[in-house]
Amino acid sequence: MDYYHTPSTVDEALTIAGKLSGNYTFFAGGTDIQNYRKQQLDTNEYVIDLSEIEELDSITIVDGALHLGAMTTLDKIVSSDEIQNHYPIIAEAAKTVATPVLRKTATIGGNLLVTNRCTFYNQSQEWRDGVGSCLRDVGDICQVTGGKNDCYSRNVSDTATALIVLGAEITLMTPNGIIQKSLKDIYLPCGIKFHDLEERCILTQISVPIEPKKWWYKKLRLRKTLDFTSLTVAATIDTAGIARVCLNGVSMSPILIEKPLKELTLEGLISIARKNCKTVDNDLMPLKYRREMINVYLKEWWKSFR
Amino acid sequence: MSGSIGKPTPFIDAVQKVTGQAMYADDYRMPNMLYVSFFRSTESHAKISKLDISEAESYPGVCAVAIGKDIPISFGVLPISPDENAIAVEKVRYKGEIVAAVAAETIKAAREAVEKIKVVYEPIKAFFDPKDSLEVCAPEEQIHSHTKNGKNIHKTAELRFNEPEKELEIAKNKQSGFFKFAGVTHAFTEPHSTLAIWNRDDTLTVISATQVPFYLHKNISKVLGIPLHKIQVKKPTLGGGFGGKSDPFPHEIITAYLAKKTKRPVKCTFSREEVFITHHGRHPTELSMSVSCDDDGIITALDTDIIIDGGAYGSFGVVTSYYNGVLLQGPYKINKFGFRTRRTYTNKHQCGAMRGHGAVNPRYAVEVLLDMMAQSLNMDPCDLRNKNFLPENTLTVGEFRITSNGVRECLEAVRRKSDWDNRYGKLPFGRGLGVACGFFISGSALPIIWNRYPQTVVHAKLDFDGRIVMFSGASDIGQGSDTLLVQIAAEELGISMEYVQVETADTKITPVDLGSYSSRVTFMVGNAAKTATTKVREEMAKAISKEKDVTAENLIFNNCRIHTKDKSIDLSWEEGVEIALAGRGAFVESGYYISPKLGGDFKGSGAGLSPAYSFGAFISEVDVNPNTGAVIVTKVWGAHDCGKALNPLSVEGQIEGSIHMGLGQAISEEMRYHNGQQINANFFDYRIPSSLDTPDMDITIIESNDAEGPYGAKEAGEGPIHPVLPSIGNAIYDAVGIRMMELPITPEKVLSKMKENA
Repeated sequence: MDYYHTPSTVDEALTIAGKLSGNYTFFAGGTDIQNYRKQQLDTNEYVIDLSEIEELDSITIVDGALHLGAMTTLDKIVSSDEIQNHYPIIAEAAKTVATPVLRKTATIGGNLLVTNRCTFYNQSQEWRDGVGSCLRDVGDICQVTGGKNDCYSRNVSDTATALIVLGAEITLMTPNGIIQKSLKDIYLPCGIKFHDLEERCILTQISVPIEPKKWWYKKLRLRKTLDFTSLTVAATIDTAGIARVCLNGVSMSPILIEKPLKELTLEGLISIARKNCKTVDNDLMPLKYRREMINVYLKEWWKSFR
Repeated sequence: MSGSIGKPTPFIDAVQKVTGQAMYADDYRMPNMLYVSFFRSTESHAKISKLDISEAESYPGVCAVAIGKDIPISFGVLPISPDENAIAVEKVRYKGEIVAAVAAETIKAAREAVEKIKVVYEPIKAFFDPKDSLEVCAPEEQIHSHTKNGKNIHKTAELRFNEPEKELEIAKNKQSGFFKFAGVTHAFTEPHSTLAIWNRDDTLTVISATQVPFYLHKNISKVLGIPLHKIQVKKPTLGGGFGGKSDPFPHEIITAYLAKKTKRPVKCTFSREEVFITHHGRHPTELSMSVSCDDDGIITALDTDIIIDGGAYGSFGVVTSYYNGVLLQGPYKINKFGFRTRRTYTNKHQCGAMRGHGAVNPRYAVEVLLDMMAQSLNMDPCDLRNKNFLPENTLTVGEFRITSNGVRECLEAVRRKSDWDNRYGKLPFGRGLGVACGFFISGSALPIIWNRYPQTVVHAKLDFDGRIVMFSGASDIGQGSDTLLVQIAAEELGISMEYVQVETADTKITPVDLGSYSSRVTFMVGNAAKTATTKVREEMAKAISKEKDVTAENLIFNNCRIHTKDKSIDLSWEEGVEIALAGRGAFVESGYYISPKLGGDFKGSGAGLSPAYSFGAFISEVDVNPNTGAVIVTKVWGAHDCGKALNPLSVEGQIEGSIHMGLGQAISEEMRYHNGQQINANFFDYRIPSSLDTPDMDITIIESNDAEGPYGAKEAGEGPIHPVLPSIGNAIYDAVGIRMMELPITPEKVLSKMKENA
């Protein structure tokens, strides 16, 4: 399989990537991206599978901060005592991703960088030929809104929702060195270019500084397992009384609302959330219902600590 | 009984299946095998004005390309509606219809060549809503030219007895409702797959994932003009059917055609998306229904008007149209009864037979209306049902002959086990219990293709090795009919199951069976197998009685021995075999089954006739979240009267499978379309309940011992699904006070209904 590379270090992976001039896809587990390849949505010739890079498979707590190697499987995160004890919201979020079998392969890094979804995009080539292509594919119109400018594909990362309300920082390795930034800053409110990442870079580590005082997490889906989210809400209140509420699955990027609890009202929160979420009818759950559930979930969170 | 009849018996192929050794159609490989890929329509309804296959034909690795005019003879599972071509001829009728097929040395070459095919379509107005198909349209807009009065109605089935409409007009206690059901599909594990081999003696062998080798055999002969005696159809191990592999399919005929044309083995295996496109599942349905009762809760009349959305072709549609109506004649006694079903053509995937064929959706409606009736009469829903059950040994208004009937025992069992009397109507808001009953045919008494033969023949062969080989055309599609044949032979001959092996579902080797559909196999094949093996026993007894000077009737076949009561004669099975074969060698005994003559002499009287009917009663418990509308089915108590459980393990499995499948249609599964194109043609978006969504199940088997069933047995494969759905719908009413008239019952529907109610 000369198209399939299995580097054992991050440097090696970046070197291989450098030789393939953009014609490659990183596999950080590959459980989701395989479908994109099958459906000819990802047509890159080469695969660089990161699963043999041992340095990226770790869970450590140093000076009260949690550090997760990006290639740690979701299964390990779900069953880690440290995470369950100190960061239960991360275990909870990881547990709602995919299924137990998939979680043995799927990784935290892979889930954070999961590709945005849309009912009209995540289909086979023949299907897209039948309906007519869309903005994100090779067409010139959005099949959902009929618009010609914007794509509203949804960010569906459950773990991002939880990690953003924990204020997670990430480490990226590039040929030019290490970049550190806030997790939430890598998400762009665009359905086509939804990650603000350099061309050749690898997410290596996620660091979580705070252990929240109170947390809340809930995912909307039709079945109790397997389904991608139709709405994920995560919320924390830290010791300084700052509330962080993140909504995902209902917009092109996770929507974070961060405010001192004292300044928040439920009505105000709902109004900000509804305004910031660019929710369109691109999921199998009906649009009206998903919007309504934003209110229901926020209300439920609000009640949880009152 | 000394054998395994009546005892929980693992299937004989279970180990092979779980260890990956079983051979499914796609596992068969041949030297020089070609692979097929299909060029499919991207239009819902259009004339094919140009089709250019020249580039595909000359593409490296391509051996043959087939188009519609190569195989223009139409076919269909029902001889009365052969409205389909293997490859679209002149026009396409749904997105995904096969327009051309390429056979090439590799699957990659075949796929690439498909991309070289060029087509120009002239779109025609497409019909997606069955109600539009009821209207007159321009002649060129008709989906099929054979439909009458310029409409796209495939079939109107209507029967009425004793003027139910008059009764309903004057009835004091009447409940009416309009119900809507989304289409659902079988979602079997194994995709369709076919291998066709053109043999050196100019005969054709087809190994295919089919429930009905016989119909496939007949239709290949018809379309390809190959004499019946030069075709062999074999069904290998099958990964589920549920009705979805019971039609002869275009891909099977095309693969056979390409094998004939290239004189090479040709293989075709579908992707999951192609399985969804091929569909043939449960019809989307809209129906209005009215039921009336007297003040005591005795049903006085039922009338219903049903529209079923057939999709682009006929399939089993004529039968489905009748089943929607006639299978409302039980399990309650209804003397004034009528229905009309109109099956429309639309430009979508075609619908056909699926577990519980035709009767599942109207069953939901009638059971919900009876619940509403009980409510309005202030009567317990179980009591109301109890008052109305058909007795044993009776005729329904449409002259179905009811023999054994355990429906009362079924209802009594689930009522007791669920603690219904103490809990129904008394659970906290959000939790509820619901009840429903059902019945189903145990095999169709009339064959689809009219003939003078029995419905099944089974041969039992005994040879020097002491082995019994059962030859039967019956298709084991996962329901366990191979195991049934072994159990019956072992039972009749008093030997262990290891002495018995099967040769099944091969139209060259095995006597014809009509196939695995309409829940006919246990009843019909079981009876034939019993006759065949009884005859083997009698032949053996005759030979032994002659040699040992004992009366044949005094010989006991038990525990692999043949002995008299006093053991004055006590032979091993092998010794008995040697005596039986002396001077004649191996012999074969034959058993067959023909249904007794049944039914009235009015038009449509044949639909739904069966030598026996199964019955059932189910109670479901649900948890409804009033904030989100999410419904969780927490427990189902199911009781089913299968006459006699020949293999209780398998009967339980069928009931559990029915609960799971019924749950899917009730709360999450749905064929969803966007402009005639399915938007959830994969197992990710087509939401089959997962193991976590599946409720606890409490199964009760009721044995009414049918006088004509083998050892008293009736069906268990389809009947148990009917009560599942309405028991869930009725439980939601008990939980939150809303009547769900539309399936699937997804959270947004629950929430909006609750708001309406508030």
